Amino acid sequence: MPRSPRARAAAALAVLLLFPALAAAQELRWGTDPTGGAPFVYKPPGATDADPYIGFEVELADYLAKKLGRTSVLVDGLWKSLPELLDKPRTGEKGIDIVLNGYEDREGLKEKYAATIPYYVYRLALIGRDDDAALNDWGDLRAKPGQPPREVGVLGESAAAKYSKRLYGEDAVLESDDVENVVGMVKDGRMAATVQDNPAAAHFVKKYPELRTVGTGRQPGYYVIYLRKEDDQLRAQLDQAIKDGLADGTLQRIYRKYSIWNEDQEWLAHRYTGAWPTPVDQEELAAEAGGGSIWKLIPQLLKAAGMTVLLAVTSFPLAMIAGMLVALVRVYGLRWLAVPLGVYVEVIRGTPLLLQLYVIFYMLPKAFPALALDPVYAGIIGLAINYSAYEAENYRAGLRAIPRGQMEAALSLGMTRLTALRRIIVPQAFRIVIPPVTNDFIALFKDTSVCSVILITELTRKYNELYNFNRDLVVELAVLTAGLYLVMSYPLALLAGWLERRTHTASGGR
Amino acid sequence: MIRVSNLTKSYGSHRILDDVSLEVRQGEVTALVGPSGGGKSTLLRCINGLEDFQVGEVAVGDVSLVGGKPHPKADLLRLRKRVGMVFQQFHLFPHMSALENVLSGPLYALGESRAGAEPRAKALLERVGLGHKFDARPANLSGGQQQRVAIARALAVNPAAILFDEPTSALDPQMAGEVLAVMRDLARDGQTMIVVTHAMEFARQAHTVHRMVGGRIEKSGPPGEVIE
Repeated sequence: MPRSPRARAAAALAVLLLFPALAAAQELRWGTDPTGGAPFVYKPPGATDADPYIGFEVELADYLAKKLGRTSVLVDGLWKSLPELLDKPRTGEKGIDIVLNGYEDREGLKEKYAATIPYYVYRLALIGRDDDAALNDWGDLRAKPGQPPREVGVLGESAAAKYSKRLYGEDAVLESDDVENVVGMVKDGRMAATVQDNPAAAHFVKKYPELRTVGTGRQPGYYVIYLRKEDDQLRAQLDQAIKDGLADGTLQRIYRKYSIWNEDQEWLAHRYTGAWPTPVDQEELAAEAGGGSIWKLIPQLLKAAGMTVLLAVTSFPLAMIAGMLVALVRVYGLRWLAVPLGVYVEVIRGTPLLLQLYVIFYMLPKAFPALALDPVYAGIIGLAINYSAYEAENYRAGLRAIPRGQMEAALSLGMTRLTALRRIIVPQAFRIVIPPVTNDFIALFKDTSVCSVILITELTRKYNELYNFNRDLVVELAVLTAGLYLVMSYPLALLAGWLERRTHTASGGR
Repeated sequence: MIRVSNLTKSYGSHRILDDVSLEVRQGEVTALVGPSGGGKSTLLRCINGLEDFQVGEVAVGDVSLVGGKPHPKADLLRLRKRVGMVFQQFHLFPHMSALENVLSGPLYALGESRAGAEPRAKALLERVGLGHKFDARPANLSGGQQQRVAIARALAVNPAAILFDEPTSALDPQMAGEVLAVMRDLARDGQTMIVVTHAMEFARQAHTVHRMVGGRIEKSGPPGEVIE
């Protein structure tokens, strides 16, 4: 320590200034999705916000950081968009150095990002209910002639999703971002089975005695860490750290703690003398992913757009009818009816559509099993209820815009209130509300994308899915998807204009 | 055939109508005159139940409305088919043609068929001088024409009496003249009418005139006596 106070102060200042730089250089920021759950990255039940995450990937990240002389910093994001974080700067709150979250070794991703050697060999496991006697092997889920396919839930856009679709067909596979929910549905008997990576499978089978694994693991694949292509040195360091961990038993210890060490990992440990062989089916997957042409994707987009149209054109008329009834009661009806309806409007308008769909599809059946709905019906009802609140306000404004004298003139002729509403008031109000109502209809087309959380494959979800496996076609896909939405909405705008013109001239140019 | 007895309507402490009584016989044309705010329009609207009142009674033939409690819907319907109303602002239905406006009473209040009601409706429009405007929309009609359609519309349900609430106040003198001519025509044919008006030339030709000030009938009698 320098003697003079001045020199000591200077040294302290230098350390203070350098500290942030030193601290930054010492972080290993790893992007992961904690909602993916056990045993990857999770919190044990009863944990609070302050408690740290646990999981074999948390411990792996800690080990790797320590080996590299850094501190491990967890950055959370959405699983399917984690690689995109590598395209962003590494500074800032969501800046990351690596992606570490059960990401498979994928040709499409390796074109854009660098990958380490595998740190785990996984297999796809099929999970079904213990009491499902008809389910004894993978083939038992194949659609039998004359019977509807049994449904299989998977994590959206994962290798499990791809394999399940190949095996069972697109229609039998329901994708979700929420593994816990999907497994819950199998446990409750609402879905036949789910295909999960074996770490997750092991955890859930242990957690729910109603569930068991069916058949043997398939499609062995690798979990790798993704990082930026220019981080050559980091990749080399990580590769070495993984090799060391496999050799000295650290990884074995971690994996055994979470009950996921098996013969596949022993094979992995012995394989580190050179380049690793590609596991069996990866070549097929590689041939399918990437390098495709946009034309092959168009039919899939169109089919998904069809679902979008179906959702919109069935739910909106329901919303209009319900909204009109609510508005009529609020403007003309009895107080004891009008007040609860006012509450209904505020609650529905004031809460997100996403939450409402969750309640209808996931939570209501838990309380009332008889109310378990198919995803499409739940989506239509959810959209209808949500939009009915907005339409109710549109119509209420329209009804109030009709001068009082209209009702008085009708009543003076001897009409009943109901007849006056039906013949005189509502037809006029209808014309007034055409602009805001068509506005909402056009918005509804976009809001159908929220239905993807209840396992419906509509256009936006299909775009996400195709984008994930065809990252070289990102511009074409985006333009095509946006174009499809436009094609669906623009006729509505034209219809609105036609309606307005027709009623405009009908009422004499006023 | 219309009898108003001791009608009182208050709004808070303000007496809008103060113990008003009058009688209108069949075929009689009655004019209500007086300064604005005197309660004339309110009296008319109490008679056909568009407004309620605290004390008193309105009797039209065998239907009566009693003050102080809500009027039964059935009574209101019966009364309004006997007593029609023509408004200062016309209140034609803008999404219908002139003919459809006139048909609205017979079709939607009386439940008649269009085939049955149409000839009479057309005849009424011709009677008010608008036989060439069956398909015109109210927005394409002048104020005087609109009010004449409104009169035809009120006539279409065959009321025993018609209430006119300042029918020409929103019209310029020429159009007012058209409308007053129609009303004179009706009076000549024996239509029972109560007319709230500032058009003294019409009031002078009524059978009876009541002068209302401050919610009370100040003076009643033949026009020569009441109007200076």
